[in-house]
Amino acid sequence: MSIPGQINASAQPGSPLCEVQHVSQEFPQPHGQPLRVLESIDLQIRANEVVALLGPSGCGKSTLLRILAGLLVPTRGEVLYHGKRLEGLNPGVAIVFQSFALYPWMTVMENVEAVLNAAGLSRGEAGAQAAQAIRTVGLAGFEEAYPRELSGGMKQRVGMARAFSLNPEMLFMDEPFSQVDALTAESLRAEVIDIWTSKDKKTSSILIVSHDIKEVVYMADRIVVMGAHPGVVKKIVENTLPRPRDYRSPALLQLVDQLHDIITGIEMPDIPAAVPEAVAIEPLPHVGPGEILGLLEYLDARGGQEEVFRIASDTQREFGTLISVVNAAEMLDLVETPKRLVRLAPEGIRMVRAQIADRKVLWRQRILTLGLFQQVVRAIERSPDGEVTKEFVLENIVLAMPLENYEAIFETFVKWGRFADLFDYDEEREVFRAFSGSEGEIRQRQSGTG
Amino acid sequence: MNRLVPAIWGKATAALRRSPQFSWVDAVVLLALMAVVYGIGRTAQQWTGALRPSVEIDLSARALPKYTLLSLSRGLAAYVLSLLFSLGYGYWAAKDRVAERVLIPILDILQSIPVLGFLPGVVLALVAAFPRSNIGLELASILLIFTGQAWNMTFSFYHSLRSIPLDQQEVATVYRFTPWERFRWVELPFSTIGLVWNSMMSMAGGWFFLMISEAFVLGDKDFRLPGLGSYMSVAVARGDTGAMIRAILAMATMIVVLDQLLWRPVVVWAEKFRVEEGSAGEAQSSWFYSWLKRSQLIESLQERLKHFSGANQPRERSEVSLRQRASRPRRGKLVSTFLLVAMLLGGIFGGYHLLLLLRLVSGAQWRGTLLSALLTLGRVLLATALGTVWTVPVGLTIGLSTRLSRILQPVIQLLASFPAPMLFPAATAILASAGVSLGWGSVVLMLLGTQWYVLFNVIAGATAVPADLREAAISYHFGRSERFWKLYLPAIFPYLVTGWVTAAGGAWNASIVSEYVTFKGEALATWGLGAQISEAAAAANFPLLSASVVVMSAVVVVFNRLVWKRLNVLAETKFSLSK
Repeated sequence: MSIPGQINASAQPGSPLCEVQHVSQEFPQPHGQPLRVLESIDLQIRANEVVALLGPSGCGKSTLLRILAGLLVPTRGEVLYHGKRLEGLNPGVAIVFQSFALYPWMTVMENVEAVLNAAGLSRGEAGAQAAQAIRTVGLAGFEEAYPRELSGGMKQRVGMARAFSLNPEMLFMDEPFSQVDALTAESLRAEVIDIWTSKDKKTSSILIVSHDIKEVVYMADRIVVMGAHPGVVKKIVENTLPRPRDYRSPALLQLVDQLHDIITGIEMPDIPAAVPEAVAIEPLPHVGPGEILGLLEYLDARGGQEEVFRIASDTQREFGTLISVVNAAEMLDLVETPKRLVRLAPEGIRMVRAQIADRKVLWRQRILTLGLFQQVVRAIERSPDGEVTKEFVLENIVLAMPLENYEAIFETFVKWGRFADLFDYDEEREVFRAFSGSEGEIRQRQSGTG
Repeated sequence: MNRLVPAIWGKATAALRRSPQFSWVDAVVLLALMAVVYGIGRTAQQWTGALRPSVEIDLSARALPKYTLLSLSRGLAAYVLSLLFSLGYGYWAAKDRVAERVLIPILDILQSIPVLGFLPGVVLALVAAFPRSNIGLELASILLIFTGQAWNMTFSFYHSLRSIPLDQQEVATVYRFTPWERFRWVELPFSTIGLVWNSMMSMAGGWFFLMISEAFVLGDKDFRLPGLGSYMSVAVARGDTGAMIRAILAMATMIVVLDQLLWRPVVVWAEKFRVEEGSAGEAQSSWFYSWLKRSQLIESLQERLKHFSGANQPRERSEVSLRQRASRPRRGKLVSTFLLVAMLLGGIFGGYHLLLLLRLVSGAQWRGTLLSALLTLGRVLLATALGTVWTVPVGLTIGLSTRLSRILQPVIQLLASFPAPMLFPAATAILASAGVSLGWGSVVLMLLGTQWYVLFNVIAGATAVPADLREAAISYHFGRSERFWKLYLPAIFPYLVTGWVTAAGGAWNASIVSEYVTFKGEALATWGLGAQISEAAAAANFPLLSASVVVMSAVVVVFNRLVWKRLNVLAETKFSLSK
């Protein structure tokens, strides 16, 4: 741990403080193949800079932060600290957590003192330094308060005090302001930058993980844009805006725009869809028909098209989820996605304007363009007792898409098929049957699932 | 491999299903049904058999299934009784506000009282009532097991009834459900999950009391019943280690079989009653349940039941006049008031007779009783403390490691249900041969019986330590000792308190059979309240017996309010992890 008052001087000027080389990370899954979260990442953290990891959920940015901090050992690749291989925890790092991670049975003062004690300071020194850190983050007077008495913003201040009290070489922040209200977050960001740029600063660099573009442009010098599934570094953007930065300055807004374009270029590529003869089986995004129809209704109410970020903020949807819905709609040819826009396709317009019964017919047409549905329907028709088991469908999914989570795809498959009245699925006996809409059959179906 | 087995299995059973004949699953189901009928017959035979002065146990392996069956029948009979009681008592307490104010405190006290204090009295009374047949003894055993099982199920049902979401209740009102329909379609389904989990806990607790009552000897009176408990005690008396191991294995097997064939399938089935969105963490699965679903016999039975209950016919709604509907709740209130008054009268009557008995106890005897109570209290606390000392480190080690807790989970579940009193006869023999006086030996016995409750709670608490707090501790270089004192111990404190309460309660119960043991035909006793109760019962000294039981109950209840409740409040305020 950094001795307070002394920045680690063993790093050569110009060389990175810590870096990862060709790092990959996999997590074993209960069903199927291990989940590849990070793929061959190269990243350096240099002295005197603020680096941001930006990307949607699931792109592994928190995982990468933990690898750099030494909390996780990567499945493949090297982690270096001051040019030497890192073993165990990274000694120059202090972390601020997304969920604050304060101990509820200790007061604010005790929470900060605890880490100083752990770093080897005597009680007197620990007390003095803790008091100083608490003052720096503006919580003077709250030393004897318990975390449950504090608001979210104040709790994160304690988290920051705790980290800063150690005068770490690098400050790592894992989505630090995502659980804090927007206004408090703004002032906290400014305070972090203030502390970092102050004359007697001891912290050399900051690594911040975030999914908020504005936050990242405000704080960072280097923005690492990551893509998901698996997590890779897509692009690194240099941010040369002078500090102090203004959220409303045109230069900042322009950079925000640029980043928007970069992200949508990554997540919703403009590749013209080759007309599929529907033999290939693609993985189904884990969304329900209701969400896709909701998207179509939304677009229809706004003249047939809207920008994807606007949709996310209007519908209060998490960006990653929205992308899945858009991709699903695109897979069914219901929308088109030129650049940042999501636009209703002719099929989508027809679906929106139709009545509920016709919608089901149209939906059925749409999903029958997908290979998996075609296969299963054909199998039901060909089966002697008119039944197809769940195992059969799962086998097909696994054979075609061995790297995917087959349970999730199966769930989606059942949802979409039921909405289209394409088949009957008896959950207790785990079989698919041809759809039957007559009176007697409906009653039998009800009693079977009752 | 993972995919291969279900693929092949699925095709195999699908092939079997295509034939209109029954599959071999049905053959097994039929066999099971026949076994159950046979079992009921044999049990009835035992119950109506003549009362023997001392139990005759055959220690051969062949006789073991019979004893297992008898123990199982007692446990299940008591469970059915507990279930009916919970449904009735819980429903009454939830529906009638006035009665609730009396019923719930009574339940609270009943839960704290060490029921084994009543064992000698109840056994003597029931044997006197049925002097010639076994029924008295069996009833006493079942009654005692019932008192170990019923309370938590009743509380669970009561709380479920009181926390049904308002909108579900409103649907029942708006669509004019009759009280029975409301119970069947709203209240019972909502309470099912709670009842299922509490039933599992109750059965596990029931084995504790079953083993004690089956091995119950009072001085020269042998009140043992044929079953696994008495098998074990006879095996110890004859020094037959082979038989002892057989008995333990039989008990363990019964627990595992019951879990796999009864509880797991019921838990899986009960998942469909889950109200909140999102699954309960790990999805429960039961191979037996999935297997049963393939049975043609059961499927056709279900169809027939549905047809019989008229589920598919439109319900005939009689146009019930408003006045009739108003009279129904009034009738209900009448019944409830009547029951309440009857209960209170019964209580007063019983209380009066009790007071008459107590007046026969001399002042010196009272003082002696209080002293013994303090002594036993000391032993209870000592046993709990000793248990805590070793279970906290071990529990933390297991609970904090996902790998260890996954591997050891079935073992822990088995240990949780295994009744430690089954080992009491063996432990007593070891202690006696080692020359340990019963004053300390009883502490060892109490420890043996109750330290597990602390262990399981510590494990549960350790698995619930939030990941981000652990990460913070690691990333800030907290050393081992710091992590223990600043993170783990405070984090598990609420669970530790629960463990202490349960362990202390169990220790009080165990004191009856720890401070007074029969070894090689001789009664050994030490100074203590448990011993006093057993000795009073052996000497048929009813005034002293009542006084001792009253004092024990009073001490437990007072200690509860003064100490445990306070610790609970501390745990909920200072150490609670919920944000």
